[in-house]
Amino acid sequence: MVAPTREIAPGIHWIAEPGPDRSHFIEDQYDRHPAWYDPADSLHVPQHAYLLDDEESLLFDTLSPACKPDIVETLTERLDDGLDYLVVSHPDVPHAGNAMAILEAFPDATLVAPAYGNAHALYHLDDAVHVAAGDTINLGALEVEFVEASFPDAPIHIWMRELTTETLFPVDWLGYPHRGVETMAFPAEFDTELTVDRLVQFHGRVLFWFQYVDVDAVTAEIDRLIQDFEPVIVAPGHGNPIREGATDVMARAKEVVAAVQRDGRVGTLG
Amino acid sequence: MVVHLSDELAWIEECYPIDDELGHKHVSVYVLGDEQLVLVDSGSFLHRTAIADQIETLAADATIAALVLSHSDYPHAANVRPFVEQGVELVASSGSPAQQGLPDATKCDIGGEMTIAGRRMSFIDPPLADRSHTTWIFDHGTKTLFTADGFGSRHQPGSCTATSRDLESGIPPAAIESFHRHELPWLRYVDPERLRMALAAILDEYETAWIAPCHGHPIAAEHVRDYLTALINGAEAIATERELSE
Repeated sequence: MVAPTREIAPGIHWIAEPGPDRSHFIEDQYDRHPAWYDPADSLHVPQHAYLLDDEESLLFDTLSPACKPDIVETLTERLDDGLDYLVVSHPDVPHAGNAMAILEAFPDATLVAPAYGNAHALYHLDDAVHVAAGDTINLGALEVEFVEASFPDAPIHIWMRELTTETLFPVDWLGYPHRGVETMAFPAEFDTELTVDRLVQFHGRVLFWFQYVDVDAVTAEIDRLIQDFEPVIVAPGHGNPIREGATDVMARAKEVVAAVQRDGRVGTLG
Repeated sequence: MVVHLSDELAWIEECYPIDDELGHKHVSVYVLGDEQLVLVDSGSFLHRTAIADQIETLAADATIAALVLSHSDYPHAANVRPFVEQGVELVASSGSPAQQGLPDATKCDIGGEMTIAGRRMSFIDPPLADRSHTTWIFDHGTKTLFTADGFGSRHQPGSCTATSRDLESGIPPAAIESFHRHELPWLRYVDPERLRMALAAILDEYETAWIAPCHGHPIAAEHVRDYLTALINGAEAIATERELSE
């Protein structure tokens, strides 16, 4: 079965794994449902991979092992000339767990991994091409540049941006749950706004360490990201791509840090 | 190498040499019990054969009853499959076992308790961790707190199998700071006092005989206070450097 895909900008394809129903995230915690939640619908925290395809092709992350055949079939169906680059943002199972299967299906692909960190052999990444902030790969009409991850969970980690479409791929940052009816929809197509409390449902689980930070330090980093990159599109690893008001959502994420610090982690994910 | 920390607690010490400056990184597995063994984490694929050999020796007169995972990160979970194929019960905190590549796991709940092979084990929300579903594990029988990526330290060649009791001057503060600087990059934003309070609350609740990190020397109870002081000092240094670089 192929995974659901949608083009978010010319040549940039969003590949999604909605994952299991997470309605219990809300049902177990709230007496009153938030406006963006529908108890009659399912709720998902997705895994996303992104395929950038022009003269050469690049896949950013792999989806999770739960859909190994799907991602391989999706790529096989889409790529007439094979895959040129497989980039793993970080060696977390839901992001990199299909790397071996993809490389077996596309043996000519170059494995690209973060240069950061210092124990790549523990993750089978010692033989990969290692990239750091400022390194680029030209794919033809598209060109990616690697960005140091501002909010990494572990040291071997990198973000990416595509320069011509001004798309930022922030991996574990700016994730959020979506309803079943919102699967493969952009936030501008949702019935409700992408609110702070929806963003907290993800960050209060995955970036649980916001509980222990200096909030001003994190918000200053968010301001820097907005100023330095000013992306038109934000394409997270766990949230539907944001094509309108991307920097507004980034600014909204500053309130998320304060909320997690004030209220503690909301749970776990993964 | 197997180091027996107490009658029912063995440390399978494996490590990975990073470089001359950073030294070695422990990638440990722990074994609880005498007749019914419970493994805590499964180690890296790099050490698969050595770990399997050492567990086989420990299990010569015993049964491997369960493997409890702190989280699914590869250096902790890379050797799960052979144990599952042998019928060993796999216990993990993951709420998405299929997405984590652990479809056979029995779920433990962070904040909860389970009895595993007759052992009472508590699952603790860890202030120092990388992945969201990481749990610290407290074994009430041996009073051991298994801290996964927390309470780590680098070490130099020659001290690979040392516990805190074997180190004349204790675990070097520089080794503690270096570990945290390189392994938990979010500490660049940390408020050290918030971190200290969270760690102290856990140590107040669970009286530990040993702290057993995956990536550091096992820490005996009498050395925990010194370790914690060095850790918080290290966190302050890491956060201060971030401020200076802004």
